[in-house]
This record gives sequence, structure tokens and C-alpha cells, in this order.
Amino acid sequence: MGLVIFVLVLEVCARIDDVVSYDAPFWGPYSDEILLQRDSIGKWGKPGARYAKWQLNSLGYRSPELRPESVRIIAMGASETFGLYEAPDQEYPRQLERDLNSWAGRDLFQVVNVAFAGETLPTAILRVPQIVKEVHPAYALIYPDLSSYVWMFVKTETAAAGESSAARQTRMSFDSRLAVRVRNLLKQVLPSAIQNQLRKVSMRREIAARHYVVLERVPEDRVERFRQDLHKLIAALRAYGVEPVLLTHATVFSKPLSESDHVALTTWRKVYPMLKEEGFLDMEQRMNDGIRQTAAEEHVPLIDADKQMPHGPKYFADMVHFTTVGAGVMASVLENGLQPLLNSQLQRTADGVAQGRPADGERSTTGPPPQ
Amino acid sequence: MNSQVLLYVIVLPVAWFFLWSLKSTRSRQALLLATSYALYASWGLKFLGLLVCSSVLNYGLGTLLRRKQSVARLWLGIVLNVAMLGTFKYLPAMAPLLPHSSLISSFANIALPAGISFWTFQALSYLFDVYREEELDPSLLEFLLYMAFWPTVLSGPICRLSSLLPQFRGILKPAAENILRGIDRICIGLFMTALGQLLASGIHVGQGIDGIFDRPARGVTGSDVWCLAVGYGFELFFNFAGYTHIVIGAAHLFGFRLDENFDRPYLSTTPSQFWTRWHMSLSFWIRDYLFLPLVMMRREAWWRSFALIVSMVVFGLWHKGALLFALWGLYQGILLVLHRQWQQLERRYEWQLPQTIMGPVSWIVTFGAVCLGWVFFRANSVTQALTMLRAAANLNKYASRTLPASLFFLVAALVLGYFGTIGSQLLVRKYSAKLRLPLEARFVLYAAAVYVGVFHMAQTQAFIYFQF
Repeated sequence: MGLVIFVLVLEVCARIDDVVSYDAPFWGPYSDEILLQRDSIGKWGKPGARYAKWQLNSLGYRSPELRPESVRIIAMGASETFGLYEAPDQEYPRQLERDLNSWAGRDLFQVVNVAFAGETLPTAILRVPQIVKEVHPAYALIYPDLSSYVWMFVKTETAAAGESSAARQTRMSFDSRLAVRVRNLLKQVLPSAIQNQLRKVSMRREIAARHYVVLERVPEDRVERFRQDLHKLIAALRAYGVEPVLLTHATVFSKPLSESDHVALTTWRKVYPMLKEEGFLDMEQRMNDGIRQTAAEEHVPLIDADKQMPHGPKYFADMVHFTTVGAGVMASVLENGLQPLLNSQLQRTADGVAQGRPADGERSTTGPPPQ
Repeated sequence: MNSQVLLYVIVLPVAWFFLWSLKSTRSRQALLLATSYALYASWGLKFLGLLVCSSVLNYGLGTLLRRKQSVARLWLGIVLNVAMLGTFKYLPAMAPLLPHSSLISSFANIALPAGISFWTFQALSYLFDVYREEELDPSLLEFLLYMAFWPTVLSGPICRLSSLLPQFRGILKPAAENILRGIDRICIGLFMTALGQLLASGIHVGQGIDGIFDRPARGVTGSDVWCLAVGYGFELFFNFAGYTHIVIGAAHLFGFRLDENFDRPYLSTTPSQFWTRWHMSLSFWIRDYLFLPLVMMRREAWWRSFALIVSMVVFGLWHKGALLFALWGLYQGILLVLHRQWQQLERRYEWQLPQTIMGPVSWIVTFGAVCLGWVFFRANSVTQALTMLRAAANLNKYASRTLPASLFFLVAALVLGYFGTIGSQLLVRKYSAKLRLPLEARFVLYAAAVYVGVFHMAQTQAFIYFQF
């Protein structure tokens, strides 16, 4: 009886904690799923939704409300851009906005984070019209998620993903918030060697259960498809008058790999069990080359984050997601890369102000696409 | 939280289970020592080696002293212990001040062994007690256990062998009362450390005491300084006293009674009283082994004041070899001297103000003076501390505030809540001494304490006194 009371009170405390800390509902489901809604394209941010430290604005983006008369830059990508581990307001788009405005000497720029966890290039292409209509951006930073191309064409995986999502929806209403906390606590206190072994066991089980064909490296056709998708996204943005900027993808991994890098690789593989650990490093290299090649072909500005970002756990909380410090460095890298591009914008704005007319950036810089 | 916490959570219940199944005292002592060494080794095998060396050395010195009480032998023990403490604790801090060379730079990289200040002082107290002919005859096993005893080795309380030795030799039984009392103390400790962390981090990110202290002190107002000083005083109290509750509670589970370290210090009405209620184990150590021997060297009044100040400066430097801690000790020493002067004036002129007036006034003055002193203890630089104290002294700077309102609210709520709790405890004890919570209600409180102290604080800072 004592134990039952003990566990029940812990669960009640966890719920009260959520209510007090995050304004969460006391009863009912509470997970990151409440940040998302679904439409014909796929998942999308729910306007005004809030889960734990993540807060979306009235358009469903992880940004403050749009400021009128600002030069808008959208940050497109997946969880790396959306921000997972950084302190609130410290994800790299927010830090970049502060850096740019500090450089400009006034609140001229607004970096709108239109990414969300799990976003892929094909869905991003389909979202362009909606984003442009809502945000009216002048520039788009494209920081693509590469690993989605590992499973994108695996039919069993796609079906399984659908199943697990539906199952999660059903399960959510029964989720214990205490269980989530116990799991997080265990992640903190279990030695990484034990956690790594647990990941390997779980991976082997999933491979056996889902009959995955394990790949040594990402097939060339998927890298080619990635490049094609990049071309399509650039075209879609340009059609609306938005100037794209491509970013290569940075990771935690240094050369040679450290012990913590090997742990990070196993963690990565747990998410995508169908690709061997070494395949991820190969994928990063080939796809980053693909980004560089696409930038050259399309004459798009390129910021080589892969080469400019330092590696290691100080900057990355796992294999690809930034720490607060890492997001700060990423913001600096982007600021340096964007300055030559934005210099003319800044000059035009200054001239516009001097001549008493709004500058280009202060008008809607985007129009409808040519029909 | 980290893997070490998990080690404690796994090792201690196993040790607890086996402890009661052992019949002989020696095997129980051996099990406790093995447990203590296993847990201490998680902080570093080299640190464990140092602890063992220090224990064996001090046991040897103690044996020598028992054979012949000689000042030279005592001084040898003092010098060796202080040299070891100095090498690991003070040399790295001094390295940047010395002329640059490869040897000097290597000093800066010396790691601080966990709890070295605590167990070195325990060793010294053993040597002093043996020199004073106290009847202490520990076996090597008992002395090793005394030095490494897992509840106290990291952050005290600094125990005396005379208090622990009879318990090491006593017959341990798993008494339900001990277990309940132990769990009570652990839960109180968890609550208190959670409150300390709340003050440190604030209601909103970056708006807690620690975040504010880490910013430049420019523009700070008098009311800001008081908020920070009182807030940090309570943060430190909740953190350290909470930790002590956990340690004493954990020792209770194993049938041991450790010395208390705090006795409602913020109710003190004089600085002297405060130092008999705050970090009592260190305070009494300083009193017994430094202040009293020092004060007995000369009879003049000025010497007594000087001894007080020297003792408190050493008290400050025990925490860290830094100017700020020396200044904090000096400040506390001056407070004690001023209090002594005041007492003499009272006696000389036979001032007899009613207690209803003097009590609250004394409390306010003591509380304010002690809290203001925490500025030295927490400030990041002497400049910051002086800027803050200048602001506190400038009455024109009290009209406004620069700190967030949420911090003022938090500090006020926790301070009032603390005094309210103390008051209600006294009332409960007075009018219903035998009031006992039903077991179900205890489980509710235990769960709430575990939640705030473990799950909510999963990202918490380490205990502040671990760094000392």
C-alpha cells in the first residue's frame, strides 16, 4: 500500500510540475506530439502550441511573432535547426538574429525558424508556398537533414513509422509522466558504456523484427535524389523571389574518432538501424559534397558549416544536434557567411532611410510565383 | 546527476543488507571500510590512494604521540597534514601568482581530492585529541574507517574519533525508529537542496542568485544587494544543511548518529551564537584546536580579539585559498570582536534594555550583518564585492531595483516560508509533543521529497561544499 501511495504521489507531483513549469494540462496526453498538426503534406507546427521549453508562435514556427518592417530570413531544416538541447531562445536561428542585429546596429533582421523535427527536403519543398505567404522572407538558409535519406525509400520502415505514430497517438493518453522522468534520469546516471550496450541490443532486435537489409553505405541513387531535391527546393524558393543560402551539415565527429564519437555513432544507428555506423560518416561526406556541388551549379551562396564548425561534445549534445555553445558558434559561422550577402541589404536600407523611403527589405520582398 | 549517484544507490542498499547479517564487529567494520573505499574510488583511484596514505600516516603519528606526548611530534603531524592540504588545495590557486616555469605551471593542474579539507581536519583532530591524552586507541581498521567513513568523507560533518569510535565498536541493530528517522532526514534534505537550487536558478532561466552574481555588478542598488545577500545566505543554507540532513539520515539507516552541523542558525541573536549554530563541526573544530590554544597564550584583551580574527580568517581560508574568503573570515572575526566589545560596554554601564526590544533588534542586526558577509563568500571578485557593499551603504541607492521582481518574490517567499516553518515546528513541539504522522501521510511526504529532490533536480548543480 505504501509503495502504491508513493508511486501515485510521484506521478501527481510530475503532473503538477508540468502544470507549474510549462502550463501543461494536468490530465490527458502530454508529449512533443502536441506541437504538431497534420495536413495533406504531413506534419506541421501547431500555432501557439507549447510543450516543455518549446514554444511555437501564432503561425506554428519556433520563433517570436513576426516583426513588421524587418528583413526576414527563414531557417529551413529539421531538428538541428528547430533546436533540441539548447536553452530556450538559444537555438542557432535566435542567436543568429541577435548577432546580425548587433552587427547592423538595430533590429533590422528577423530570423524565422520554420524548421521542425523530422522535416525532410521533399516536404519542405511542398511547404514553400505556405511559408512564403506567411513570412515573406528575403533569404532562406537551408540546413538539410541528411539522414532522412537513409530510410526514405525503405517501404517497411515507412509503414512501420506510420504504425508507430498511430500507436503513439493511442498510447499517449496512458503515458505516465513519471515513467518519462525515470527514463531521463536513467539516461543521466547510467554509465555510457552500459547505455551503448543497451542501444546495440535494441538495434539488433529491431533489425530482426523488421527484417531490415543492413546497408554498408547510403546507395548512390539516394544521394542523387538528395541533390535533385536540393535543386527543386532552390527553384521553389527562387520562384517566390527568395534568395537561398546553402549550408553544409556539421557533426560532432572529429578525425580520428574519439571514444565519445563511437558512442554517438551507435546512438545515431539506433535511430536508423538499417545503416552501419561507418555508413553515416560516408553519407555525411558524400551529401556535403553534394551540397557544395549544387551550390556551385545553382550559383547559390554556400556556408560550409561542416568545415567551419568545431567538433566535439562541447558543441554537439549528440551526433548532430547543437549544445547552447555549439548553436552560438554556428550562429557566428552563419553571421560571417551572411555578412557579404547582407551588406548590400544593409546599404540599401541605410540609403532608403536617408532618402525617406522604405528599403527593399522593409517591403514584402517576395511576390507570387510566375504563373 | 551522474553515474556516481547510481553507484551510491546500488552499493549502499547492498552494504546495508549484508551489514546486519555479519556477526563480528571487525567484519562489520571491514564491510563499512570496503564500502567507503569503493564509493570514494568513484571520485578517482589516485584520490583513494592519497586518502589511504594520509590515514596510515596519521595512524602512525597518533601511535607515536600515544607512546610519548611531545609537542615536536604533534607539530610534525600538523606540518605534514597542512603541507599535504596546502599542496593539493592552495598550491594550484597560488601557481598563477608565482614566476612562470614549467614546474610552477604543473602546480596549477593539481586536482583537488574530494573532501580533502574535511578528512585532513578529522586527522588533525585525532592528533590533537591524542596529544591531550584523550583515551583513544583505535585499531588501524577503525582509524581507516574513521577517515574514509562514506557518509562524512566528502563534505562532513567533521567528526571526532571520540564520537564515532564507540559506534564503530557498538552492536548495530536495524531499528525501525532509526530507519524512519533516517528516511525523514533524507527527505528533509532533499526538500532543502531543491529549495537551494530554486534560489540558485530562479523562477525564470538566468534570473536566480547564481545568474545574477555572474553578471557585472554595475548599477546594482542597495535593495538589490540585500536581496542577493539574503538570497545567497539561504541558498547556501538550504544547500549545505540539506546535504547534511541527507548524510545524517543515511548514517541513521546504518545505525550511526553523526554530529549535527546546523541548528537553525538564522534565529541567532548574536554573531557568537551564529557560529555555534552554523557549520558547527568546523566551527567547533576551529574553536577547540585553534582559538582556545591561541587565546591561552596571552591574557591581554587585545590578544583575545586578535585570536578571534586569526581563527575566523583561517575559517575562511579553509574553504578556499582566495582573498575573498580571507576577507569573509576577517569580516566575521570583526563582527565577533565588535559583539564582544558591545557585551563589555553593556556590563560596564549596566545597560538593561527589555528583552522584548533587545531580542528583535539583536536578531535583525545579526541576521543583516551575517547576510551581508555572504557577499564576500559568493562574489566573483573583490571589485564585485566592494561595488555591492558600496551600493548597500549608499542610502540614495535604495529607491530603485535592477533585479527581476521574480527574484525578490522568490527570496521573500522562501525566507518567510522558512521562518514560518520553524515557528510552526516550535508550536507543534510545544503543544503536541507526541504528535506523529500516520504512515500513509509519511509516504506522501517521502514521495514529494523524492520528486523535488531527485526528479525535478535531475539537472541540478553539485552541492556547493563539494568544492571545498
